Amino acid sequence: MFKNEEMEINLGPQHPSTHGVLRVKLRLDGETVTKCTPIIGYLHRGVEKICENQTYFQGQVWTDRMDYVASISNNLGWAEGVEKLFGIEVPRRAKYIRTMLTEQNRLASHLLWLATHALDIGAMTVFLYAFREREYLLDLFEAFCGARLTTTAFRIGGLREDLPPGFIKSSQAFQDRFLACIDEYEELLTENRIWKKRTVGVAKLSAEDCIALGVTGPVLRAAGVPYDIRRAFPNAAYAEMDFEIPTRPEADTYARYLVRLAEMRQSHRIIQQCIDGLPEGPVMAKIPKILRSEVNEVYHPIEAPKGELGYYFVGEKGGTMPYRMHVRAPSFVNLQALSKMTEGRLLADVIAAIGTLDVVLGEIDR
Amino acid sequence: MPIQAIQMTLTQTLVMGLLQIVVVLIAVFIMVPLLTFAERKVIGYIQVRLGATRLAGGHVGITGPMNRVMWSMGKVPMLSILRGLPIFIADALKLITKEDIIPAKADRGVFTLAPIISVMAAFGVFAAVAYYPGVMFYLPKGFPIVGGLPFQGFITDVNVGLLFILGLASVGVYGIVLGAWASNSKYPLLGGLRSAAQIVSYEVPLTLSLLVPVLLAGSLNFKEMSILLATGKGLHPLAIIPLFIGFFVYLTCGFAETNRVPFDLPEAETELVAGFHTEYSGMKFGFFYLAEYANMIVVSALATAFFLGGHYLLPFGLQRFIPETVPFLGQPSFIFFLGKVCFILFVFLWVRATLPRYRYDQLMDVAWKYLLPLTLVNLFIAALIRFAF
Repeated sequence: MFKNEEMEINLGPQHPSTHGVLRVKLRLDGETVTKCTPIIGYLHRGVEKICENQTYFQGQVWTDRMDYVASISNNLGWAEGVEKLFGIEVPRRAKYIRTMLTEQNRLASHLLWLATHALDIGAMTVFLYAFREREYLLDLFEAFCGARLTTTAFRIGGLREDLPPGFIKSSQAFQDRFLACIDEYEELLTENRIWKKRTVGVAKLSAEDCIALGVTGPVLRAAGVPYDIRRAFPNAAYAEMDFEIPTRPEADTYARYLVRLAEMRQSHRIIQQCIDGLPEGPVMAKIPKILRSEVNEVYHPIEAPKGELGYYFVGEKGGTMPYRMHVRAPSFVNLQALSKMTEGRLLADVIAAIGTLDVVLGEIDR
Repeated sequence: MPIQAIQMTLTQTLVMGLLQIVVVLIAVFIMVPLLTFAERKVIGYIQVRLGATRLAGGHVGITGPMNRVMWSMGKVPMLSILRGLPIFIADALKLITKEDIIPAKADRGVFTLAPIISVMAAFGVFAAVAYYPGVMFYLPKGFPIVGGLPFQGFITDVNVGLLFILGLASVGVYGIVLGAWASNSKYPLLGGLRSAAQIVSYEVPLTLSLLVPVLLAGSLNFKEMSILLATGKGLHPLAIIPLFIGFFVYLTCGFAETNRVPFDLPEAETELVAGFHTEYSGMKFGFFYLAEYANMIVVSALATAFFLGGHYLLPFGLQRFIPETVPFLGQPSFIFFLGKVCFILFVFLWVRATLPRYRYDQLMDVAWKYLLPLTLVNLFIAALIRFAF
């Protein structure tokens, strides 16, 4: 009597909640999602190929433009990867400063995630509260390197310059008030009935599925797997830092929310240790003007805010540019889980799932 | 306050009616833009930002010279807290002058009709709302045709006023559903379906929660009900319990009926772009916008009249503890009514800035699993109090 057919709609690439230019093709039966296909590539610039045609010094500029909300993490991965390739030892002070900036960047990235995730679910006030703190962090980055978003913060072998005067003081001022700010977000969300209804049990992804799909970062840790590269393969100054790896067993959106908030508190702890234990000394190692590589290959993973960010370099004999460069971008790998998380669920859960995966399209499309 | 029956000729009745309609319309057309301004400002301040600031607070424009002088004297311009107020004029101008696009594949007739239905339903309701149950003032003797006659605080005194209001308010959903369907587009369709399901579901607990004051007052007349419920004459002291529960149920349903946060699913922008009005532009969109805000005012006015003691000071029939002889506080006043309406409107904005949005199935759960049983129990309590004591 009635014709029953499924509706196909496009979420994006221009859509308020797909965070950039993600396009998700959905088949809907009423409000229930029967099929969910993420379609990517709208921001593809060929970063990997470009980097193969630029020197090791120039390439870092392109890493800013991959995960643009956590560019310092990307810079760290590039700089350390190249240093590993050439066997350069970085001064201890530079390592500490790198660690501090990367953690501050992790806070900025998580704040942006919290803001947009809450906004997607409808809590608009958290958005502005989180941006207030992120603004302060961006000001710190600006003081350090002159740029707020595309930082190119580090140099191969260390840092271009030492911290500017007053940087430690401003960082400490931020440290002093930030924990209260996290409490403020938690007050608005953690015990909020509607927030819990929208997130508890939504977009579940078990530890087995996470590992099978290669999902890393907070999504994996919220499934109960305490895998954190800062602990598993310590880089920068993380080996000297005292911090915990927050995990939750529930593997749902709410667990990821709690894990990320706990991570913010841990980042705060690491920054404090960096400020307190900042060693004196040079910030730049002695390196030649032109780096010429041997035949060599290197894979260097770091813990970016979104998950495992790996740089793979292949050097050729006497080359000033990488013979091959590849990035294992966490957002790209994590996005695979979207279909698994959402099929059979409701339309509104797709929005929550995109938010909880915390994808950045610059990194996915590269 | 007794209302004397005054003999009026047919012409006088018609002119008087027209006059009142014009006054009410103007009042609503002033309140809606003020409400949008308040929304910007209230939400702005809750979110530690300033809200609209672009107009009337700067160094240029009509108010520029005054602001410059005040800044140079080291004072914050007195308009600075109201900066952005004239933005509602700009908003209205923009809506009116914007190109009115009808999508090529849309059903032209229904597409045009939908916003008209919405706005008519929203404004028609004001015909039966008594914003002051009695004579507000007498028109001056020199007034043509109707000079010297009383100006009453309601347009018509319908004896089944509440029924009229509920009936007309539920027509409003047709505007949304038809508009969504006629757009012939996917996001509006989803928005329209959500809206239909939502409003039909919430109509039930809304109506049942309003039955409590009807039962207690024994009348459907807006004016009589509001006077009786406010003064508490003939009400059992325990009647405050069902009224109190009923108020919160009614307010919750009112949020859903007006598609406000946390029930703003039909226009959930992060899911459905703009929901049912995605394809609308210009003044057609403006009509939906007007209707939404007019509906908010109606919901606030109803909550005020039936639960919060209307034009008297104290809510839930507590007014009986203030003798009528007390000046001002014991007397009915339009100011009390307006104040309470403004407070509920503020709650609308406050909630919008605080709460996330429900999911579709959870929304239905709230209506059918929690609110409906609660209202039924509440109605039972009210009936018990009315007839057993």
